[in-house]
Amino acid sequence: MSEVSLLRLEGVSKTYRGATKPAVDNLSLEVRAGEIFGFLGPNGAGKTTTIKMVVGLLRPDRGTIVANGHDVAVDPVAAKADTGYVPDNPDLYDRLTGIEYLNLVADVFGVPQAERKRRIGELLGMFELGPAVGDIIQSYSHGMKQKLALTGALLHDPAVFILDEPMVGLDPRASRLFKDMMRSHCEKGHTVFFSTHILEVAERLCDRVGIINRGRLIACGTVEELRERRKQADETLEDIFLELTEPGEAK
Amino acid sequence: MARRVLSLILAQLNMNFAISHSRYYYLKKRQRLWEPVLIALAIGSLAATLGVGIYKAASYYYSTSAAIGQGAVTLTLGILLAQVLVAILGFVLVIAVFYFSNDLGILIPLPLRPAEVLAGKFAVILANEYVGLAVFVIPVLVAYGVHAGVSGVPYVLSSVLVFLALPVVPLIIAAVPAILLMRVAGLSRRKDTLAMIGGFLFVAVVVLFQFLVQTKAPGIGEEAEFLAKMLAGANSLVDVVGARFPPSIWATRALAGAGTLQGLYSLVLFLGAGVLAFVALLVIGDRVFYQGVLGGFEAGARRGARPTGKVQEAARYPSRSPVASLALVEMKLFTRTPVYVLNGFTGFVMFPVMFVAMFFAKRDPQIARLWDAFLSAPGLAAVGALVIGAYFFVLAAMSSIPFTAFSREGKRHIWIQRALPASGRTVALGKAVAAEIMIVLGAIPGVAVLEYVVRLPLASVATGIVLGIISSFTLCISGVLFDMWRPMLNWTDPQKAVKSNLNVVAGMLIGLAVIAVLGGAASLFVKFGLPAWSVVAGIGGVLIAILAAEMKLLGALADRMWGALEG
Ligand SMILES: Nc1ncnc2c1ncn2[C@@H]1O[C@H](COP(=O)(O)OP(=O)(O)OP(=O)(O)O)[C@@H](O)[C@H]1O
Ligand SMILES: [Mg+2]
Repeated sequence: MSEVSLLRLEGVSKTYRGATKPAVDNLSLEVRAGEIFGFLGPNGAGKTTTIKMVVGLLRPDRGTIVANGHDVAVDPVAAKADTGYVPDNPDLYDRLTGIEYLNLVADVFGVPQAERKRRIGELLGMFELGPAVGDIIQSYSHGMKQKLALTGALLHDPAVFILDEPMVGLDPRASRLFKDMMRSHCEKGHTVFFSTHILEVAERLCDRVGIINRGRLIACGTVEELRERRKQADETLEDIFLELTEPGEAK
Repeated sequence: MARRVLSLILAQLNMNFAISHSRYYYLKKRQRLWEPVLIALAIGSLAATLGVGIYKAASYYYSTSAAIGQGAVTLTLGILLAQVLVAILGFVLVIAVFYFSNDLGILIPLPLRPAEVLAGKFAVILANEYVGLAVFVIPVLVAYGVHAGVSGVPYVLSSVLVFLALPVVPLIIAAVPAILLMRVAGLSRRKDTLAMIGGFLFVAVVVLFQFLVQTKAPGIGEEAEFLAKMLAGANSLVDVVGARFPPSIWATRALAGAGTLQGLYSLVLFLGAGVLAFVALLVIGDRVFYQGVLGGFEAGARRGARPTGKVQEAARYPSRSPVASLALVEMKLFTRTPVYVLNGFTGFVMFPVMFVAMFFAKRDPQIARLWDAFLSAPGLAAVGALVIGAYFFVLAAMSSIPFTAFSREGKRHIWIQRALPASGRTVALGKAVAAEIMIVLGAIPGVAVLEYVVRLPLASVATGIVLGIISSFTLCISGVLFDMWRPMLNWTDPQKAVKSNLNVVAGMLIGLAVIAVLGGAASLFVKFGLPAWSVVAGIGGVLIAILAAEMKLLGALADRMWGALEG
């Protein structure tokens, strides 16, 4: 793991129009090259909001986000070019075929022909999506759509790979494949940032985790570090999570 | 059961008019409060202008027809016209609402009979029709009431009842073939195509029918003579029309004779016809409605066919520039969505049919004289080029394609392009190019028919097409920019993105204004004796200047609007 940070959030805040409380409140964190970062938090904590700001779908009210050296607010196109994103519920164009969607993505990301062919073949083969790729997306199952979205997000081998609850809807084999893939993606010196509710996965897979509650980052570090900080060596990540995010608890 | 259907209808209406959504959006969150006020003002003034115009026309028509004791004809014609309109628009609306609304996946698993769901959906269409019909029919009812000196309360009561029942029968006349078509189409793998073709056939037939009826109808200033002729025969005009479509005459008698026993009898007949038609719809619908809907849920996958071949195909695609790729996807998405095609391409079909109809109308000596005068006019070649150029522009303004470019993405899909590394300029340009290509291709049949009819020299057709391409592209860019500025992303059915979208109205108004200004200027210059071809060159120059300015605007605004466009 190097010290180069591929994703950096500094004092990021976001209040939805009309809301009284911020959905994300002064959030700062850093994800380094070669690192898998797990983003945890209860429902409505602000995970999706944070992720949407990182990929440029929402504009933060305050703070800066830098992806692979590009400020998302200043040079959004360059930042997006180095980012791959899969939303929590990938609603793809129902009336395109899988391959038409992938070609759109590859064209806009400027993936060269030979590279495109190799990557698409590789990823579709891995996800066993090859036979369906000529059909319209409307005919896909939920998991197939997710796999297609994953394929699209990985076509350009992004330095920063952002996923919102990626494990939902994947079958055990795909889920395993996917975890291996995240690992190998990081070994190339890239970084993976994903939100999840599955704490066992986070505990096993992530180099570091951040826990967000009511818009604020309340803990961040390796699982080991979190344990030490609470001086309870035998706690699982689940115990820590539940205690930290207990409703009514001040912080 | 009745309560169940009622709550279904209420939920549908709530969704249709976005009541809960607007309350949340405008009242709870208090954002953009000026918007509903502005929109209400704009629509209100537009509706008021239209309403006053119709009131005046109806009053004029009443005074002419009352002179020969046929005042009630005003009602008959008003009602008949409104019903024809409902039938034309109804077909597309029925297909869209019955078969392509997103909540069907939720409704069908509920313990409801197909007829109940159908009734709920029908109520939604009906409610939409009332909004539009109010502008057209109420002025006619008021005009008659004021001038004919009818008795107050019974007339008002009958008016309300007639108004409410008015769209029912014509809507069902459109709905039954639509349901049967979708039932058949559901069996086929090409059901979307079938739905589109059926829709266009319906439009073409109704336009032709309208035209044939119109050429038989009296010209302006001849009504009295015509009516007198009618009176001389045994039948009054009311009966003549009524013989073709009895409900309109029942409605007329119900209104004209409001307060009398005969009026009451006609009212009962009119309402009864509506009820009967509705029952027929439910009976037919209960049998075939779901089969058509369920057919629509199957996406026609060809799984297993040449599995590896498809992957290889990816490599066969040449890599395209982002703009080209975005434009291509845009066109695919548009042409594969029946509701979009039925809405956006209607003009492409309607105008050529109208041109053909005009061609046949040439047999009428009066119209033929007009034609000859037009064809022998000096500078026809240049004027023809302008007309062709204007045709492209009108198509662009009417098609709604550019002015819904971003709205059509909706909340569900806008993230896809927003997450891609494409600048706002690239995305907007892709959408504008896609709209332009579809419009230019759609203009070809009309230009071909026009050319066949008028026989312009090749140079003027070529010039006209160049003018048309430039003029429609100016509108495509402004439309895309406009829709990027304030897209309507919050829809549940794709149909809403193109049908209930105010940006479409804005586009038509902008198009109308530009064509009025440019057309007015052109005809003025020609009248002042400027050589016609120099006017063509002048208009071309103006269009190119507009286009250049728009490209500058695109560069300056698109990226910022793209960043601000939060789904
Ligand atoms: N589009 C929106 N408009 C207004 N408020 C929103 C919007 N999206 C989210 N919120 C609010 O912002 C807060 C954070 O939501 P967010 O979706 O980021 O949570 P999350 O951590 O992703 O939750 P989950 O685990 O359920 O996915 C919530 O209080 C939510 O109500
Ligand atoms: Mg979320």
